[in-house]
Amino acid sequence: MGLSYSFKLAARSIWHEKWINLLSVMTIMAGLLITSVTILAVYNMDAATRKLPEKFSIMAYLSDNLPHQQVENLIDTVEKENIVDKVRYIPKDQALKDLKSTLKDTAYVLDGLGENPLPDAIEVKLKNSAMGPDTVQKFAQRLQAISGVAEVEYGERFLSSIYSLRTGMQAIGIVFIMLLSLGTVFVCYSTVKILFYRKRKEIETYKLLGATKSFIRAPFIIEGAVIGLAAGFLGLIGVLSLYYFVILQLRLTFPLFKILIFPVNMSFILPTAGFVLGIIGAVIAIGRIKY
Amino acid sequence: MIYFKDVSKHYDTQTALRKVTFFVEKGEMAFITGPSGSGKSTLLKLIYLAEKPDEGNITVSDWEVNKIRESHIPALRRSIGVIFQDFMLLDNRNVFENVALALRIRGVDEKEVKPKVFEALKIVNLRHKSDCYPCALSGGEQQRVSIARAIVSEPIIILADEPTGNVDPDTSAGIIRTFKDINARGATILIATHNRELFRNTAKRVLKLDFGNLVGEEIG
Repeated sequence: MGLSYSFKLAARSIWHEKWINLLSVMTIMAGLLITSVTILAVYNMDAATRKLPEKFSIMAYLSDNLPHQQVENLIDTVEKENIVDKVRYIPKDQALKDLKSTLKDTAYVLDGLGENPLPDAIEVKLKNSAMGPDTVQKFAQRLQAISGVAEVEYGERFLSSIYSLRTGMQAIGIVFIMLLSLGTVFVCYSTVKILFYRKRKEIETYKLLGATKSFIRAPFIIEGAVIGLAAGFLGLIGVLSLYYFVILQLRLTFPLFKILIFPVNMSFILPTAGFVLGIIGAVIAIGRIKY
Repeated sequence: MIYFKDVSKHYDTQTALRKVTFFVEKGEMAFITGPSGSGKSTLLKLIYLAEKPDEGNITVSDWEVNKIRESHIPALRRSIGVIFQDFMLLDNRNVFENVALALRIRGVDEKEVKPKVFEALKIVNLRHKSDCYPCALSGGEQQRVSIARAIVSEPIIILADEPTGNVDPDTSAGIIRTFKDINARGATILIATHNRELFRNTAKRVLKLDFGNLVGEEIG
């Protein structure tokens, strides 16, 4: 069987059944668009939390008047930890200077203080891979247990909130993607099933004339693939339009939207996903051909 | 070429064929006759496996139909050209496309399709109607398209179920002449008909069916 004949039959069918096919394309496109928006949200949330280590640090405040040697030993001990990226010693004088520069015009409130009330401290930056709330908490406990460390402070709540949000978004994303993928398969399935049903006399003739299963299946699978691919491309156009015309406009008003990025991979993933889901739907709809 | 051994076929409570045994040799042209409901169509359907026998053995060419694997059924059917009683033409394809379908299913090179289809249409005298759709044709013309589709791939066996049921006597005689020509080229032909005029003076074997029983045979 020439594959070109199957393409010809599929093209003829797509044209003859254009309205039902168009409806299927639009439905699948809507599904893929919602999926894309979910992926975009999850992707950006993930990207935001991945950047977190650059900003995140743990402060360990040291006991007063620690001997210099003990401070160095303490820093050595912390640096040996696998999850630690960088350790910076901040003497109390430096801390006060930093505080004054932060307070700027209101720094005069510190003038009344006789003695520097701030303690010496070390600032610990963690590696990217260690940025889980549990890991950080356990590390903070180990840090607290080191002799000479008076107090450990880090944004525990902030960290766990971000990670809960990230995990939640990922879970919602996965569920959404699965549901909408199933929806896409179902729409392709229904379309091909209807076409298959409408062409049952034609298929019966094919079978009686000795057509192989692949001869019968090929046009329907091509049709499913074309519907899925078309929906994928339209979905991509939809999500690109949403990004460039809506989000880029919103950036001008709400700076929060500036962090949103569009993953380039999506340009390939969306049509491919439509194509594959279209084929899966068609294959399921045709089912087993019996002679 | 076609061998039936004690073949029976039942539909619910009705018996379509009862212990039918016969043999059609390679290159032979034979007729099956009998009144409506005598089992002629069922017998043909058993050969191209549109129906399966309940009892007995059927051999078609090198295939034992009872034991054939499902994946081999298309190959069996491709070796047979069938003229269906209800024609089974595709309404949304023109005459050319309907006839060409038999070749495309057989994977014939697209360059060969056109000349072969026109040759077949010339044999049934429908060359001038190649662009027409079945709905624009008379019953007899549709039947001739069905014949063209059955012969276009030059199958080794041709089965015809009432091939002259909708045509006038002249066309009918023409169709029988066509079958004889094809038969002369080596094809085995089995024609089911209740029209006795069709096999009169043909000097071909005629198998008689009555209520599913093979009741005898004669030379037409």
